[in-house]
Amino acid sequence: MFYRRIAVFGGVYSNYQALAAMIDDARRHQAEALFCLGDLGGFGPYPDRVYPLLRESGVQVMRGNYDVSLAEGLTDCGCGYTDPRDNYYAALSYEYTFRHTSEDNKGWLRTLPDVLRVQLGNYQLHMSHGSPRQVNEFLWESTTPDGFLSKLCGDYEADVLLCTHTGIKWHRRLPDDRHAVNVGVIGRPENDGETHVWYTLLTADPHLQVEFVPVYYDYEALARDMRQEQLPEAFVETIRSGWWTTCLEVLPGKERARGRW
Amino acid sequence: MAQGTPFMQTIPQAPFHHLHALWFQLTGTLCNLACSHCFISCSPTNHALKFVAPETVYQYLDEAETHGVREVYFTGGEPFLHKQIMPILARSLQVAATSVLTNGTLITPAVAGELAALAAGSPYSLEMRISLDDVDEARNDAVRGKGALRRALRALQLLQERGLPPIVAVTEYFYEAQETTPQEAGDGSGFYQKFRDFLLENGIEKPRLKVIPVFAMGKLHPSETGASYVTPGMMHGFDVTTLQCTKSRIVADGGVYACPLLVGEPEARLSESSLSEAMQPCSLYHTACHTCYVTGMTCSNY
Repeated sequence: MFYRRIAVFGGVYSNYQALAAMIDDARRHQAEALFCLGDLGGFGPYPDRVYPLLRESGVQVMRGNYDVSLAEGLTDCGCGYTDPRDNYYAALSYEYTFRHTSEDNKGWLRTLPDVLRVQLGNYQLHMSHGSPRQVNEFLWESTTPDGFLSKLCGDYEADVLLCTHTGIKWHRRLPDDRHAVNVGVIGRPENDGETHVWYTLLTADPHLQVEFVPVYYDYEALARDMRQEQLPEAFVETIRSGWWTTCLEVLPGKERARGRW
Repeated sequence: MAQGTPFMQTIPQAPFHHLHALWFQLTGTLCNLACSHCFISCSPTNHALKFVAPETVYQYLDEAETHGVREVYFTGGEPFLHKQIMPILARSLQVAATSVLTNGTLITPAVAGELAALAAGSPYSLEMRISLDDVDEARNDAVRGKGALRRALRALQLLQERGLPPIVAVTEYFYEAQETTPQEAGDGSGFYQKFRDFLLENGIEKPRLKVIPVFAMGKLHPSETGASYVTPGMMHGFDVTTLQCTKSRIVADGGVYACPLLVGEPEARLSESSLSEAMQPCSLYHTACHTCYVTGMTCSNY
């Protein structure tokens, strides 16, 4: 399949409100196809609500670490945290999500690919969740050097690498018109004090254009659902304030310095 | 028989996967402190391993970049004893995210200012990781020397004031067998929370902790009869990629070694002068290998 403009997003984290708003917005931007780089559950409420939205909208979905864990019945989310406080909140989130994801949806996750290869204009795109070599490798902007990205482009025969997993978007131009893009997540705001979330539009015109698009959605409705489901108040605070309160010990120095906590 | 070598059995090997991190033992075994538990017996009088020259650092950084290195770490001894540390860090920050493992006692306001300027000039993170053993001054200084806690705390505050949220490395020297569970970390009990509270009380608004297990080596090395080793049987079904030595190498006096804890050990040296040559399997021959195997320990920040 050959595309000219696509929308790519990751980290839904059960945020069905943002997902619905994002799908509408991508259509308004005339995206020919939508791609989800995984992590459908976690953090938010009512995890089963995102599945029909994805399927009915024809989104092409690949699995992230969270989806692998749910599909395989693993005991933790496999996010790759090493700090005990991060792991405490990750466990709360995973336990809730596992309990509230139907067997049908877990079965559907087992059918999904772990990698997507897409042709956009003259560009060969390689989509992965964390990094091409490891599903839960964190590619933060400040710990992902150019030399490493150039090597990955060569190893995986890609002009453009796309990933998510960290929750904060970035775009790096590399030599020879190669690119690396972390498409961000639509499940929680990106630790900048703003309540909106982000997805990415990629256009080959014929040169690659990368546009990060904000998604404004009813975050107060989501917060009410989260409280209804007795999810941790710390999670609700993040949705309402735009600042990360949990699972942030894994942030590198530059990204940590920009946050509130 | 060298210290740490298992007796009369096949030594398991760890394959090399990819170069995630390159380490430098920048100042050899020279340190301005003489901590009673030091893994590699560093002190103001230990010159067993010499400083690494800037030109040597630059040569390995260039080589590491071609291998797609993601992180660079500088340790010692005490890295801030190296007179060329600032240009070395500047060069490293052109290649990848860079961390310095330090006791913090040499970080003056001027040094902290230079570090902040270096960090601001690079797209990659510069991490300062400062070691503490306890929040109690008497207990901490009994290990690290008089005034060590106050000087380290001052360094933490200087870095934070300049926009560099530091990482505090805590050995489990006083807290062995008191591993903090996620539950304790979440509900505010355990020694992890004790350190967080201490840092918050002292104005470190974003407390970042790295907990390190005690290694039975250096000044704490056990009698041979009490040592534990990785055996071939332990490798069955074990995810070997959890071992740091599958993804990192360290440059020190004498060449390239498999592990930051085993610098200077002939059995851990994989090359005299080439990083590429050192990217080969290494032996899990030492008691420290057993500690990593059991605890899942990695020296990296995360």
